[in-house]
Amino acid sequence: MLTMHNVSKVFRTDTVETTALQSFSLQVNEGDFVAVTGPSGSGKTTFLNIAGLLESFDDGEYKLDGHSVKNLNDKALSQLRNQKIGFIFQSFNLIPDLNLFDNVDVPLRYRKLNKAERKQRIEHSLEVVGLANRMKHLPSQLSGGQQQRVAIARALAGDPLFLLADEPTGNLDSKMADSVMSLLEDINKAGTTIVMVTHDLAQAERAQRHIQVLDGKVTEQDKQAAVVSPLRA
Amino acid sequence: MNHLGPIFRALLRNKVGAVLIALQVAVTMTIVVNAIHLISSRSDLIARDSGLDESNQFYITTIGYDQNYDARYVTDTDLDSLRQLPGVVDAVQINALPMSNSGSSTTIKNAAGEDAGDAGAALYYVDDHALNTMGIELLAGENFNATDITWREMNKGTMPQKIMITATLAQSLFPDLEPEQVVDKTLFNGDDEPMTVIGVIKQLHAPWVGWGNIEHAMLVPQKSDSVYAHYLVRTEPGQRATVMPEALAKIEQRDVGRMVLEHDTMTQVRADSYRNDTALQSILWAIIVTLMLITALGIVGLISFTINRRRRQIGTRRALGASRGDIMSYFLTENLLITLTGVVIGGMGSVGLNIVLVNNFDLPRLDYIYLPIAMVCLVVVGLAAVFGPALRAAHISPATATRNI
Repeated sequence: MLTMHNVSKVFRTDTVETTALQSFSLQVNEGDFVAVTGPSGSGKTTFLNIAGLLESFDDGEYKLDGHSVKNLNDKALSQLRNQKIGFIFQSFNLIPDLNLFDNVDVPLRYRKLNKAERKQRIEHSLEVVGLANRMKHLPSQLSGGQQQRVAIARALAGDPLFLLADEPTGNLDSKMADSVMSLLEDINKAGTTIVMVTHDLAQAERAQRHIQVLDGKVTEQDKQAAVVSPLRA
Repeated sequence: MNHLGPIFRALLRNKVGAVLIALQVAVTMTIVVNAIHLISSRSDLIARDSGLDESNQFYITTIGYDQNYDARYVTDTDLDSLRQLPGVVDAVQINALPMSNSGSSTTIKNAAGEDAGDAGAALYYVDDHALNTMGIELLAGENFNATDITWREMNKGTMPQKIMITATLAQSLFPDLEPEQVVDKTLFNGDDEPMTVIGVIKQLHAPWVGWGNIEHAMLVPQKSDSVYAHYLVRTEPGQRATVMPEALAKIEQRDVGRMVLEHDTMTQVRADSYRNDTALQSILWAIIVTLMLITALGIVGLISFTINRRRRQIGTRRALGASRGDIMSYFLTENLLITLTGVVIGGMGSVGLNIVLVNNFDLPRLDYIYLPIAMVCLVVVGLAAVFGPALRAAHISPATATRNI
């Protein structure tokens, strides 16, 4: 489903060159719930941006759903993001001037689905996250946990290949974080693949697989491999 | 346009900036429409046909300074001399130049007595060469004969018995008659000076371009016995530039105790007379351009501010699948909604302002064709103004969505 092989990414300014990812390899299979952890500056976010087609990479190969994405133009990447990936952001990234219905509708409109189908998908996804009765509310009228649920509904509504979550509980208190994690677990159990970037090891432990990143490299793959990680030691 | 509904609803929830821009567009539209209307009205005034063959005419004004200055001799010999010049069609002595803003007028009546209808008329004292020199079309009746011409001393003299009048003056005095039917009618200067209309001319402007009855003019068969003399000269088409200096030299060469005061083309006389109108047009154009520019800059400023404030949101939209074109389309549509709201309000404001202007300043009623023209112009200006900022927005990286800034 998602295959990265020796992916590298270097950020350059006039004077500084920073290697964000080097020889980064990872395979995510259908139905996986993968947690990616690492300290600040380890390359987690760069990995997430590249995996989510938000940023380009310099070397290596990245195949999404079996197809290389390396030479795709901006429009094709936009379409892939829209149709294959559901994003969940740390800060929820809901549009404050739109109600919940319109927020969830945003990616569906970019897909140019008809009105009836969009409505059905929006209602269903808001129902999944338990907010179907608050469709006309604005994000500001919800708690942080509820806003993240809306973001999850927005990600689910497009029926994506996988969800890409960037610190989904990073801005929530522990109770709300637990609630959101439970929701993600339920979604995963229902068959949706999830890749989650987090610095919270406790949340990462709840994932089916746990990848650790350090200095732009995968230093440990899969808790089933039982390799001792300095982060978990 | 796929996002029209959400854009509209978002604008309603965050309307201060949008309302300010819409109001700016509305005020601009109101002023621009009425300014264009005023410009157009002035253009119509400036372009009015004077009845003259202006492009081939010039004048020379002289003044006699010698104690023995013989105005009658000098005038007749000057006219003979001018008429014989190669390239000259004809020449006439005239007391005032059309459109020069200086001349004489009188009130003439269609009958004797206090109840008679009357009308103001500009007076042109000329000889039988006037029609040919001015290039005026005689609609009905006949021209003066050489024997009809008399001398008129300055501030003295009575009206001769024969006159020619313009068709518009004829219709003012005899509303029930066709202009041609006014020939042979008797008019009165006061109650004791009857005059017979021997000819009706198609068109001739009075000297005063701001006069409401500018087409009321009367030709009187008299030459002025005065130290001042205006000679109006008509040349063959395209010969004016050559003939004018020759004519001027001819006049100046004669040692008859007078000097040339001024000379110029009739084209310049028209330009000078309408200078205030053309200046007003220039000022109004400057106001239009300035307002349009201010509106455009206002839109650029608001949209740039909005885009900076919504960088994360734009990045999120890009992450969720918006192409660069979608982002461009979003901001163009948003601006279109704001501008359309502004031009609709501005359309109503334009009509309202025009009603005020018509009622208080006697200006002509607005031609409604200016409304859609101004609307289209402002929408185009609005879209052009937003294009640059929208293009910058479209290039915001989708990775902005994941940055905690």
